[in-house]
Amino acid sequence: MAGKRFTSTTVDIEGREETRVVELPSFTPDAWGDGAGLSIVGTSALRADGVEKATGRARYTSDVRQSGMLHAVILRSSIASGKITSLDIGGALAVTGVRDVLTALPGITRGGLPLFDRTIRYAGQPIAAVCADTEEAAREALRAIRVTYERMPHAVTAADALADHAPRVRGDNDNRPDDSPRTLERGDIDRGLAESDVVVRAEYRTPVALHTALEPHGSVAEWEDDRLTVWEATQGIFMIREHLARAFAIPMSHVRVIMQYMGGGFGAKNGAGPHSYVAAAFARRIGQPVRCINDREAEQMDAGNRPATVQRVTIGAKRDGTLTVISVDADVPIGIGGWEGGPGQIYHEVYRCPNVRTVDRYVYINASAMASFRAPGHVEGAFGLERAMDELARELKLDPLKLRTINYATLDQKKNRPYSAKHLDLCYDLGAERFGWSNRQASNETHQGARSSLRRGFGMATQIWGGGGGPPAYATVRINSDGSADVLTGTQDLGTGARTIFAQIAAESLGFALDQVRVVLGDTERTPLTGNSWGSITTASVGPAVRMAGEDARRSLLEAAGELMKAEPSALDVRDGVIRAPGGTQTMTVHDLMDSLGDVMIIGNGSRGPNPDGISLSAFGAQFAEVEVDIETGIVRVLRIVAAHDSGRIVNPALAESQLHGGIIQGLGYALFEERVMDRALGIPMNPTMHDYKIPTMMDIPDIDAFFVGGADTMANHIGAKGLAEPPIIPTAPAIANAVADAIGRPVREIPLTPWRVLYAMRDERP
Amino acid sequence: MILTVNGIAHERDIPQHETLLGALRDTLDLTGTKLVCDRGECGACTVLVDGEPHYACLTLAAACEGVSVTTIEGLAHGDLHALQRAFIEHDALQCGFCTPGQIVAASALLARNPSPTDDEIRHWMSGNLCRCGTYPKIIRAIRAVADARRAGHGG
Repeated sequence: MAGKRFTSTTVDIEGREETRVVELPSFTPDAWGDGAGLSIVGTSALRADGVEKATGRARYTSDVRQSGMLHAVILRSSIASGKITSLDIGGALAVTGVRDVLTALPGITRGGLPLFDRTIRYAGQPIAAVCADTEEAAREALRAIRVTYERMPHAVTAADALADHAPRVRGDNDNRPDDSPRTLERGDIDRGLAESDVVVRAEYRTPVALHTALEPHGSVAEWEDDRLTVWEATQGIFMIREHLARAFAIPMSHVRVIMQYMGGGFGAKNGAGPHSYVAAAFARRIGQPVRCINDREAEQMDAGNRPATVQRVTIGAKRDGTLTVISVDADVPIGIGGWEGGPGQIYHEVYRCPNVRTVDRYVYINASAMASFRAPGHVEGAFGLERAMDELARELKLDPLKLRTINYATLDQKKNRPYSAKHLDLCYDLGAERFGWSNRQASNETHQGARSSLRRGFGMATQIWGGGGGPPAYATVRINSDGSADVLTGTQDLGTGARTIFAQIAAESLGFALDQVRVVLGDTERTPLTGNSWGSITTASVGPAVRMAGEDARRSLLEAAGELMKAEPSALDVRDGVIRAPGGTQTMTVHDLMDSLGDVMIIGNGSRGPNPDGISLSAFGAQFAEVEVDIETGIVRVLRIVAAHDSGRIVNPALAESQLHGGIIQGLGYALFEERVMDRALGIPMNPTMHDYKIPTMMDIPDIDAFFVGGADTMANHIGAKGLAEPPIIPTAPAIANAVADAIGRPVREIPLTPWRVLYAMRDERP
Repeated sequence: MILTVNGIAHERDIPQHETLLGALRDTLDLTGTKLVCDRGECGACTVLVDGEPHYACLTLAAACEGVSVTTIEGLAHGDLHALQRAFIEHDALQCGFCTPGQIVAASALLARNPSPTDDEIRHWMSGNLCRCGTYPKIIRAIRAVADARRAGHGG
């Protein structure tokens, strides 16, 4: 085997490009092309953990019960800005069953700010925590803590935070992160404007959206000497390990993080949070396991959000529809912190246009920090860009789909390089065909008249997203003496189906039947490292490592078989768990082979290799929407969505379809109902419940026809797969909004499209 | 008090103000029933009380003395309930956190109305929220069980 070599590669995670030095795999399997003759990959195998979930046996973090476990709860600020002048915990300590109260956690910070701080920067900020024998006692004690505040002015909108003499949200700057505004430009905007025959200028607004995962953030922590075990609802067990090791000044190898089942993440569960630090801190001080799980109000108040945006768009084209200029100036109030996934990026990526300028102006406000939320930035940006494209099409009297195909980009515009594969044209063609796009006006006429206030409308929108994945990701495959195989990899299954698809990939590469393979994941101590499940990168990152581990184990298996069967290993094949000599002269099951070898184990290892140089890896898609708007009440009903997506190879079509449904339905909520309502005068979110923050119910679901086009992207990686979890949420809201605009014959520039916004839009006004 | 859950009578000291959800999860360690909103907004804690669907988060345990409570753990007689099998076969679950409540609510629907229309399914199930967006497949799964029962096969 060749000596180890290390190389640099770039990985795209939710629009951020990172360069990493990585180990080159010891071998690279031939890529699985469309004609690879795969028999397990590409089938709709049933979800590997379906029985556990359907029977209630699956143990989520909030179901973990350890012997002697105590309960911690967190007290949160009721004001948006100010100082704590007194914090009296005497009453709390007097409650029966209370074990400990924390009012400071020295050295532990979140977003560069102390976790428990006497300075209040937003409503819902943690200020103290109680630990008790029961959760009930802990809550009673929480109510007995007396806090007095000195209130100070707050700013909960970008405009308020950017005004002269605005309160300093973080104290140390002008409410702008160091690199804000972030400007990105290609070509010359002024030249583009001068060359335009038609220019549309409009301002688009998107709301703060809350992840609203059904399982809240939570943690159960237990210490043994200076070793910490944590059950955590997380998208990144290794990131939690790193955060907790740093916070408690212990080696990373002393922290074990376990996540077997999680009730939804959607981007908000990537790192340690107050609950994690509080559980681990109490557990260490008291010497017993401690559970700390957000209640629903805490989850809706302070567990991440998709920030609001205001996007001022200028878009221009020649009379024939050729784009000459795209420009956006966006305000993004991110809360008191968070990373910056801006709406600007997608403006550079989707359409061929020589002159593009984006300004993303991030602003600190007195509100809970944002967190990545399914395609952060692109979801917000797609609304502005795709609405502006429709307004431009209307001005040009061009079909909206035609305007998009006129400006089809064959190259990655932003990086000026080719894509590994791009089948957006097929998404347009097949999506339009299945939707009946070219017949839509005729169908509109046939549906008029039942009630005169109902209007039908049709719209579509485009999507682009990374999701090419990359290193590091490792996997081990163990063939056991009973002929079964275990796949060990340190990723997590958020409900996406990772457990299932990695079993499929391993079974395929091993030549085993699917039921011989089991996936072990979600445990930092028992599995090799992979990254977070974010950016739709898990399949494309971990999949190749799993495949390689399977191939590695298969090689050893066939060498052992060659010895036993007196045959040349390279002439042997294994399929469905049966080893065959050429011509079918001799067969042996893997079970019998392993049995003859005695009590041994065959081990294969795999790692994710670097990405190809100079090529962009992206997923594409287009969605088409039909809506019905009641112009008297402003109520919008989405009747139909057709979604055509290109995400390379689809490992499991049924599970992939479920992901498309999920993205579309979350996008529908974003388009029609979802909105954190902030009281500007008080600085307090008004709707931190599931009744008042409206997510879609079964009554809201349109007829959905979601499917994939294209095929294996063998240039991207050797399993040919790209990301598909985030892409489907990106075009849904603009497609619906475009359909509403079509129905009412007026521009729609703000979501969610609640009835009053629709009624105002019909008068070309904003509420 | 005596709390009869899934056919087993449990004698436990349960405070008068404890919810059925708290008693199931914390006293009886039946964690299949989930706590999500804790105020009757999401349906994740749906259980059957004498065959009728109830939000366990809004039901007092003390009020359940002398009645029969069925949770997701006790729904199947034998291997899997037909709805559990259908949810798995139609991939009507993603993260799985709402699934126990969905399946218990659906079982109450089919007990009351063996041949629901899709609109009746949507209406009945609209109190059970799912954030992963599995709704289209949940409708398919319930429809499949109803159709199979009408055709005279399947549990």
